[in-house]
Amino acid sequence: MSLDLKQIVSDFKNGLWAENPIIRLVIGMCPTLAVTNTTENGLAMGLATSFVLVSSEIVISLIKKLIPANVRIPSYILIIATFVTFVDYFLKAFFPGIAASLSIFIPLIVVNCLILGRQEAFASKHSTPRAIADGIGMGLGFTWVLVLLGAIRELFGMGSIFGFTLLGEWYRPMVIMVLPAGAFITLGILVGIMNQISREGK
Amino acid sequence: MEKNSTRNLILTLAAIGIISALLLTFVYEWTTPYIQANQAKAQKQAINEVLPNVEEVEEVEKNGNVFYEGYDNNGNRIGVAFKNSGGGYNGMIEVMIGVDLNNEKIYKISVLNHQETPGLGARITEDDFKSNFVNKPFGDYTVVKKPPTEDTQVEAIAGATISSESITKVIENGLDKITEAYGGGN
Repeated sequence: MSLDLKQIVSDFKNGLWAENPIIRLVIGMCPTLAVTNTTENGLAMGLATSFVLVSSEIVISLIKKLIPANVRIPSYILIIATFVTFVDYFLKAFFPGIAASLSIFIPLIVVNCLILGRQEAFASKHSTPRAIADGIGMGLGFTWVLVLLGAIRELFGMGSIFGFTLLGEWYRPMVIMVLPAGAFITLGILVGIMNQISREGK
Repeated sequence: MEKNSTRNLILTLAAIGIISALLLTFVYEWTTPYIQANQAKAQKQAINEVLPNVEEVEEVEKNGNVFYEGYDNNGNRIGVAFKNSGGGYNGMIEVMIGVDLNNEKIYKISVLNHQETPGLGARITEDDFKSNFVNKPFGDYTVVKKPPTEDTQVEAIAGATISSESITKVIENGLDKITEAYGGGN
């Protein structure tokens, strides 16, 4: 096992843009659409998912040779569920406010296909250092898009970002932006813009 | 030995399951005191919020429900707080209701838990909406969409009529339970 630094950097960068989970691979849509109604929720969901992603990529890349191919999916899910339960308890104990606003979407990280997808596509085939780089890259790639989505929706839907009011009394909030429909509209426009940017870059 | 033999499959999953359970046991033991403390703190805060100038709170069980009786510093009972819950728009709404039994009116309410839509139904936690119930006499309430003209009217949140009606129902229902337990007097 050789440590190729260049390879690791490119694994890390991969998730930020070229294979960004939300705007490129379009996976992990359930939390993307459901909890980005405020910036804070987006950030918390992004970080919680990143933690689970990196931890399970580490464990799975370490024990990949021990897991028989026939039970790899249930094994991955068990490992992922362990870390998710850990996050759930941790948030309830130390960040009760965030735990209350994300509620059911924390346990649902277990079935986020981004996490299972990266185990199957990456961690089970590559070395641990590369898996860590991939996990962090994908996690940050997921987080920045969630924060951006949350910020846009919160700004138009409530006139604030991170709970700080930016638009004054004169602004009449667009209620649709904090409802599920607002998530679809914002995400669609965002993916369109990103596609345009990467097309021009070529 | 064949790696994909049934025995091996069972052993692998069992081993992962046991290790996971073991780790989570430690995490559970570590976080549970904090989680319980958070819940107790939230509840205590809510009781203090809905009963004005309360000094001491006593838990009393009546008809299978727990009531929190609040006393001032002279030992007089100033009122009772009761936690009631019911279905909202997205999930359960849990409300702490503080009442003055002598005058049969609500002191204040506080929302403990809810899953209403942020920016819409979630505004049941804001003072603008909660003030609907301040000093309100017991009774059957109606949710209206314009500024209330009668004591029994509650002004709905714009765009969140279901949430407004749900929480009003939870409060009405809670008041019924309080009246039942205390017979409508001190």
